[in-house]
Amino acid sequence: MSEILALDGVVKRFGARTILDGISMKVSAGEIVCFVGPSGTGKSTLLRCVNGLEPIQGGSISFEGAPVLAQTASIRAVRRRVGMIFQHFNLYPHLTALENVMLAPVVVHGEARAAVEARARGLFDTVRLSHRINAYPAQMSGGEQQRVAIARALCTNPHLLMFDEPTSALDPETVGDVLGVMRDLAREGRTMLVVTHEIRFAAEVGTRMVFMDQGRIVEEGDPRQMVASASTERARQFLGAINH
Amino acid sequence: MNYTFTLRTIYPYLGELWQAAAVTLWLSSLAIVLSIALGAGIAVLRRSRLRLLRVLGAVYVEIMRNTPLLVILYVVYFAAPAIGIRLSSFVAALLGLTLNSAGYMAEILRAGLIAVAPGQFEAAQSQGMTGWQVFRHVVFPQVFRTIYAPLGNQVIAVILASSLASAVAVEDVASWMQTVGSTSFRFFETFVIAAIVYLVLCQTVNIARLLIGRWLFRQGATR
Amino acid sequence: MIAYLPLMLRAAGTTLWLSWLAMLIGAFGGTLLALVHMQRIAPFRWLAIAYMEFFRSVPILIVMFFAYYGVPLVLGLDLSPFAAATLALALHASATMSEVVRAGIGSVGHGQWEAAQAAGFTWLQTMRHIIAPQALRVVLPPSIGVFITTLKESSLASIIGYIELTRTGLLVRDSTGGGFAPLLALGVLYFLINYAISQIGAALERRFQTGSRIETVGAMA
Repeated sequence: MSEILALDGVVKRFGARTILDGISMKVSAGEIVCFVGPSGTGKSTLLRCVNGLEPIQGGSISFEGAPVLAQTASIRAVRRRVGMIFQHFNLYPHLTALENVMLAPVVVHGEARAAVEARARGLFDTVRLSHRINAYPAQMSGGEQQRVAIARALCTNPHLLMFDEPTSALDPETVGDVLGVMRDLAREGRTMLVVTHEIRFAAEVGTRMVFMDQGRIVEEGDPRQMVASASTERARQFLGAINH
Repeated sequence: MNYTFTLRTIYPYLGELWQAAAVTLWLSSLAIVLSIALGAGIAVLRRSRLRLLRVLGAVYVEIMRNTPLLVILYVVYFAAPAIGIRLSSFVAALLGLTLNSAGYMAEILRAGLIAVAPGQFEAAQSQGMTGWQVFRHVVFPQVFRTIYAPLGNQVIAVILASSLASAVAVEDVASWMQTVGSTSFRFFETFVIAAIVYLVLCQTVNIARLLIGRWLFRQGATR
Repeated sequence: MIAYLPLMLRAAGTTLWLSWLAMLIGAFGGTLLALVHMQRIAPFRWLAIAYMEFFRSVPILIVMFFAYYGVPLVLGLDLSPFAAATLALALHASATMSEVVRAGIGSVGHGQWEAAQAAGFTWLQTMRHIIAPQALRVVLPPSIGVFITTLKESSLASIIGYIELTRTGLLVRDSTGGGFAPLLALGVLYFLINYAISQIGAALERRFQTGSRIETVGAMA
């Protein structure tokens, strides 16, 4: 399988605080990498660095062979091929669900409206929201909004999908809907980076689990194996505590 | 008490009234457009990363909001010649109105920008939008919604405030009322007519704002 | 210039007195208007709305012109510049205040009216003992804003010849050879007064922490 993302010694600091302390990893097409670990260990920051929302202070990131340089014009080329799903959805409140999904393909990618709309409608089937196509974000539940956000990310045909704690801001009863959609995407063979606290989901769907603590990768490997018996004490503690 | 309302003595002055109304309209329109531009600049200053610029913006706003327009007009009108610039009454009035209104516009626009959640910028950026695209498709529509009503109020405030231009010898509607009133001694009539002109101007803005607002935001897409 | 400072400070006192008086009348007038506006009888409501819309759409300067030059002609009643200015300022302030008061009364939940009625309070007793005390916390901060606006508007009294702060500044300017230092001093004095008042307003707002916020800073004038 071809490698699409490579991180080499990535360091991220906010002032004196080091958030990412030398992260190196490679991701190949079709992989589903789940990032787990205590809050505030830099998992979300890692995703934000990959699409240049945060500049890095050391190391390098390359996506599909080209360097990811935040705050330069070149970053937009990366972002066009990466779909991002946020914890708080960040849907555009002034647009309907359909318009939210169609905006970037039309404006950023310059595609024809009719073609985009046809594809968008198909995506609403995928996320099981065809009946909410003309609703505004304010009229939808959190779970519905997050599924629209997934459709929005998918509509630009991204090579990589990044989920930043997609279910953390949801009511418990709508978490399942969102995870269901993500399961479908995994089955389609999408390449996904998922930051999550849903260990069970990570074990079931992920092809690789990365346990992070204090800005470092402590352990990575097969998700099921790690959940059953992680090799490091720190990961075992965390995964055990979450599991039971 | 035996005052009779008669417009006959006013007729000869109606031609000047149209001119005066045109001056009022032109002066306020220019001041509104210019103060939105200046206000936008100050609103951006107030969000600057540099503390000095932020303080500068805040000081400007406080000065403009706490000083009477009339005093600002006098300062502009009398100060310009003192430093060797010749300003016509109209330009002096326009400058004073613009400087003053910009203080209010800056606050209106700032409130509009604050109302856009930081996640909106990130979502738009993560989709690969350019700075202009983020502004045009994501930020501006949301800011516009927030500032729509206060902006309308400020437009009306500028039209009303433009009447002070008569104090620096601009021949607008207020000045028409005073000159014609004092030459014809028909102050009641000139007052009624001047009031009607301002009423029509302001209520036109008011009603247009309601209708356009209802049309623009018809889907009830509020957050 | 420095020699004229005491004169200007005294004039600042005159300006404060004029605006305070106009504000006081405006607050009473505004409350009355708000109560009229709340009545079920439609013509009353229309009258209140017409009053508010009129004063929201007509510059205070021409109202002042009319009060000073027109009223003596029409009513045969000579108003001093002070009386004319106070009248115009108060008429305008009461239009703004009526909205502030209405918002204040509206902010008190319907449950309060029902509870008072259930306890046998009359309309007036409910207003006096239940609604007004609660509405006051909402009304006070924006009233400071109205006061600042009135204070700035009071500078227009100089145009009809009342010797308040602005007129004094212009007179000082005339007698010191026409520089613009007196005008600058004028601006600084107004700024200091209004800024101090707006800080009081901000403090009140923080203290009351009411949910429904209306600007404490005055409108353009």
